[in-house]
Amino acid sequence: MDIKNYNPAKFLLLLVMLTAGSVQAQKVVRYDLYVKDTLVNYAGKEKRAIAVNGQIPMPTLTFTEGDIAEIVVHNQLKESTSLHWHGVFLPNKEDGVPFLTQEPIAPGAVYTYRFPIIQNGTHWYHSHSGLQEQIGMYGNFVMKKREDDKTFRKGIDDLPTVPIVLSEWTNLNPDNVDRMLHNANDWAAIKKGATQSYVEAIREGHFKTKIKNEWKRMLAMDVSDVYYDKILINGANSTDLKSVDGKQLKAGDKVRLRISNGGASSYFWLRYAGGKITVVASDGNDVEPVEVDRLIIAVSETYDVVVTIPEEGLSYEFLATTEDRTQSASYFIGNGVKQLISPLPRLKYFEGMKMMNDMMKMDGNLDDMGMSMSLNQMDMNVVMYPEITGDAKQKDTKQKTDHSQHGMNMGEDPNRYNANALGDIVTLNYAMLKSPHNTVLPKEAPVKELKFTLTGNMNRYVWSMDNKVLSETDKIPVKKGEVLRITIYNNSMMRHPMHLHGFDFRIINGKGENAPLKNVMDVMPMETNTIEFLANEEGDWFFHCHILYHMMAGMNRVFAVGDYDNPLLPNKEKAYKMLQEESNMPHFMAQNDFATNGNDGEAMFQNARWSLGTEWRLGYNDMHGYEVETHLGRYIGKMQWLMPFIGFDWRYRRMGEDEHEKNIFGQKNKKDSRSAVSLGFMYTLPMLVNFQAEVYHDGIARLQLMREDIPISKRLRAGFMANTDLEYMVDLRYVLNKNMGIRTHYDSDMGFGVGFVLNY
Amino acid sequence: MKSLSKIMATLAMLFIFTACEAQIKNEKKENVKIYGNCDMCKSTIEKAGNIKKIAKVEWNKDTKMASIAYDQKATNLDEILKRIALAGYDSDTFRAPDDAYAKLPECCQYDRAVKTTAKTEMAHTGHSGHTAAATRQQEQNQLKAVFDNYFDVKDALVKTEGKLASDKAKGLVKAINAVKMNELKMEEHNVWMKVLNELKEDAEHVSETTDAEHQRDHFITLSKSIYELLKVSKYEVPVYYQFCPMANDGKGANWLSKENAVKNPYYGSQMLTCGKTVETIK
Repeated sequence: MDIKNYNPAKFLLLLVMLTAGSVQAQKVVRYDLYVKDTLVNYAGKEKRAIAVNGQIPMPTLTFTEGDIAEIVVHNQLKESTSLHWHGVFLPNKEDGVPFLTQEPIAPGAVYTYRFPIIQNGTHWYHSHSGLQEQIGMYGNFVMKKREDDKTFRKGIDDLPTVPIVLSEWTNLNPDNVDRMLHNANDWAAIKKGATQSYVEAIREGHFKTKIKNEWKRMLAMDVSDVYYDKILINGANSTDLKSVDGKQLKAGDKVRLRISNGGASSYFWLRYAGGKITVVASDGNDVEPVEVDRLIIAVSETYDVVVTIPEEGLSYEFLATTEDRTQSASYFIGNGVKQLISPLPRLKYFEGMKMMNDMMKMDGNLDDMGMSMSLNQMDMNVVMYPEITGDAKQKDTKQKTDHSQHGMNMGEDPNRYNANALGDIVTLNYAMLKSPHNTVLPKEAPVKELKFTLTGNMNRYVWSMDNKVLSETDKIPVKKGEVLRITIYNNSMMRHPMHLHGFDFRIINGKGENAPLKNVMDVMPMETNTIEFLANEEGDWFFHCHILYHMMAGMNRVFAVGDYDNPLLPNKEKAYKMLQEESNMPHFMAQNDFATNGNDGEAMFQNARWSLGTEWRLGYNDMHGYEVETHLGRYIGKMQWLMPFIGFDWRYRRMGEDEHEKNIFGQKNKKDSRSAVSLGFMYTLPMLVNFQAEVYHDGIARLQLMREDIPISKRLRAGFMANTDLEYMVDLRYVLNKNMGIRTHYDSDMGFGVGFVLNY
Repeated sequence: MKSLSKIMATLAMLFIFTACEAQIKNEKKENVKIYGNCDMCKSTIEKAGNIKKIAKVEWNKDTKMASIAYDQKATNLDEILKRIALAGYDSDTFRAPDDAYAKLPECCQYDRAVKTTAKTEMAHTGHSGHTAAATRQQEQNQLKAVFDNYFDVKDALVKTEGKLASDKAKGLVKAINAVKMNELKMEEHNVWMKVLNELKEDAEHVSETTDAEHQRDHFITLSKSIYELLKVSKYEVPVYYQFCPMANDGKGANWLSKENAVKNPYYGSQMLTCGKTVETIK
């Protein structure tokens, strides 16, 4: 990585300020953060990023419980920014959510956050403005225990400690990533080899699975949506940790890693080449130590883990792998030859698809078949994990090669499978977390019960709670001193890491009085989990899915605790409107096929509910004609299969003798030039076929069936259209890259054509 | 005409794409030691290291030296050596994962430069564990062999491996035949008499086919018999009686497992975690 525009003079200044801060008697710990645009090269291309004090990730901020934090933000960007202190208890106005707890920090402005540190643990901080978190604005926020703390754990809290922040990097502009997600652009799937096309389905003997999947109106399933070019641990893809605090690491040493997942949308598997991982805290709260082989860290979670260096002369790989297993980053702990850990095998996507087929009902709801799922205990994705459920195809080779290190006859080894049999790998889940302390909430506090169903659909990338995005809901009023008990059911196909600002909540996980405290809870599809917390701090607290692109799509709520007067936001109503607006921005897409027989294209503006789209077919001569159709529609329902619309059509065509002038209903349309207003609806049928019916002001009716983007092979897409005007079209498109393709089609109006497709 | 020229441009572009020659740009060459044995190692090492136009590895089995040429703007030596190590071959920078090394064909199991005690320990406990178990078995409850074989059949069904399940069921039949009835405890004897016929029949059926679906049909009743036996006999660790509501065409079916975590033998990977523990037998 190389970062430009870094000014060493400023760094010196910062150091001076730091020392000045720590000398003061009141224990005010001051940090100056200079937020500045920069260029980085993480994955072969120079791209824009945001660096703070010249570095990515942002500097680790360290405090001790009892300090006063004073953090001065110097916004040297050309856009506004903000910093949110994730998991930190503080007065609402310091929480750092623009338009909810403060005004955005304007370009050029200097802004001071100041709050007392009243807790300890591993936390992190990040920008809460737009998609800035994706391009560098994340860092660790560590609050140490005081040594006289009663909860100080010898052998854990006094270990050599390293802060770790995980993140991902994409060479694409994150705004573009967001747009592509909303437009169901499957470039990410192509890059990941997760297209799950018909050819691939047939090759793996899963043709029926694929058909059933499309019948149930699902797009290819995946465990994550964005393709990343590089995974970073503390800003690097591979790092050697040879010493901590100036002390060389040697065999037998234990190291505590304070790990935050600062990724915008990636879950990471954490594994260690040197043996078991001991989990000692989550989201900054101590848990009874628990030994596991691996754990998955949800977006925005933190875990404190202890690892041991087993032998001298080796340094052991601590590997963070994305949930989709396409990318990873390494951290080598110790001195010597680097002992690697085997990468996680590729996901068996079609097994996952089969599982989803069984779970998905025809109406788009999920059916857990009477299994009560919770706390990440049952991971349905396990059907896709070859390391647990066996390899998809290579059973024979597996038998041959497994355990050949024993050098004995495989056929007779009774424990042939026990070594990596099911259950041999211990994976952490929430039911295993237990607080060392009693975390029971005051019994006398009144309890307010809330239920949320997490909803959304992949096709239009709309994510919501109770099928409402933030812009469709008011703040949820909560009395100060109430206990909020929230039950969350995930009825969507993706997992969601739900994060609450300002509080830790108890996860009701069967540990009774010792229920663990967290501020992020991952909810897998079909899971039902319950959390509770005492709302004893006034203010507007954000509650949202921490996958950045889900949050930006509106999967948010606000708890308004008490009647908080925020001096930073004189007009709270107006500010809330701005917040709502920001979480439901329209997305633009456009596409045109420059073909031998004309131009075929469309352009669309869409937000969570509305769609304004126009399609055109422009021939090169009057015979072929020119046609433009514009629709303004609103998507109805959770799955958004129905869209009523009003339309406006214009076309000009000089009829030839062989042209149809009658439609299937015998209605005639003789005019060469026609302008018509219509009313109609579009409905997504099984197999993802769009059925469109419309009636024009002159009484002419039109019914149409259309399917686009049938995934034939990894890069080949097919489509067709037929309507009651007896027009039809079939096409084949080869995807070259995210913006280009080659298309051939036959159109009843314009005949055969070959062309070059550009899409944005 | 306009469109025609576009097509030409596209075709020309395609042609350029394909016509590129496989030559490494910004080339840097280094010689590195990579541990290995034979010609088979050579092909694995080179295949793991090579990337068209970016990296080229040539390994000499006599000197164990690899000459590596790579595009220094696109990659680095560590990346190449890491790929080779993940294929099972140690270098002085990286040590291959033990499981990757273990997967190498026997002729390729070279002498490793850095030996770890962890690995040898593991292998040791592995061996001694087996023999210890075998001797203990004879002294202990003679039904244990029946249970052990049952669990093996179950594990095979969890993986939907019909052939393996059949093999394991053969072991189960043997174990059943080996039980000396008169040496059983009173209670055990009673249940044994009751379930014996069915138990034997189910075990034989499972052993005679490699069709996992058919095996599962018999596994339902087989599990019932074993459950009754386990209730009166004792097993060395707690056993979990588990239930999947979907199996047996929606009528539900049980099985026994040594682990509380659900690993469903009726659906394999399709529905691996479907079900719950209904009883713990200690």
